Amino acid sequence: MGQTNPPFMSGVPELLLLRLLGQREMYGYELVKSIKLVTSDAISLGEGVIYPVLHALERHGSLKAKRKKVDGRTRVYYSLTAKGKKRLERLHGEWQRIQTGITAALEVPANA
Amino acid sequence: MPEQTFEELRRYLLNSGITPRHVKRTIAELNDHFDDLQLEGKSGGLSTLDAQAFAEARIGEHKLIAQNMLAKTELKTWIYRYPRVARLYLPVAYLLLLPAAPVFAGAEHASAVARWGTSLMVSAAVTAAMLLLMQIAITLT
Repeated sequence: MGQTNPPFMSGVPELLLLRLLGQREMYGYELVKSIKLVTSDAISLGEGVIYPVLHALERHGSLKAKRKKVDGRTRVYYSLTAKGKKRLERLHGEWQRIQTGITAALEVPANA
Repeated sequence: MPEQTFEELRRYLLNSGITPRHVKRTIAELNDHFDDLQLEGKSGGLSTLDAQAFAEARIGEHKLIAQNMLAKTELKTWIYRYPRVARLYLPVAYLLLLPAAPVFAGAEHASAVARWGTSLMVSAAVTAAMLLLMQIAITLT
């Protein structure tokens, strides 16, 4: 299991969840597996922590939750709403802005 | 997956003001997730005990889940979200509802109320009949 990285995680799970759910509907365990896959295990989190984020996004109207029976088990599938798409665009923009800033700062020589 | 694994977390979340709906669903989702992780462990060649330990480690600390849940104020009941409003309006609401309390109590114990009501009516009818007979007896003598 990869190391967890809590100090850098603020807002990241939300962005990743919205991004992945923009592709197709998924349930919790599936989402965690997808996060590991798309980030090549670079981002690892206590897996139970995604549920508060999912529930909050649902309350906000960004996600829609639906119970589905699959192979005799009832699962809660999450999908992105129109409001969620807008939130994803906004967060994506903010993330890119921060990323650009940090990259620029790191490219400056340390003794400059 | 033993249900009691998340029982303490469930009680803690409820006592901390998370809405019962979110608590119920979170615990159900965590249980499902735990089952999936256990299966993943077993399919990777782990024993039942090791698979359980693997699932517990991957789920993460319950304290951390609780902290994350409590940080989302939107998941709390309105009394916890707006404590000042609750402190102001709840006593007023209770005062307004006080006159209706017997009705609520009656509705809650409908069968007992019906039993007592029937008994009272029967005893009133018997008393009325006795009084009527006494009156007739007095009139005839």
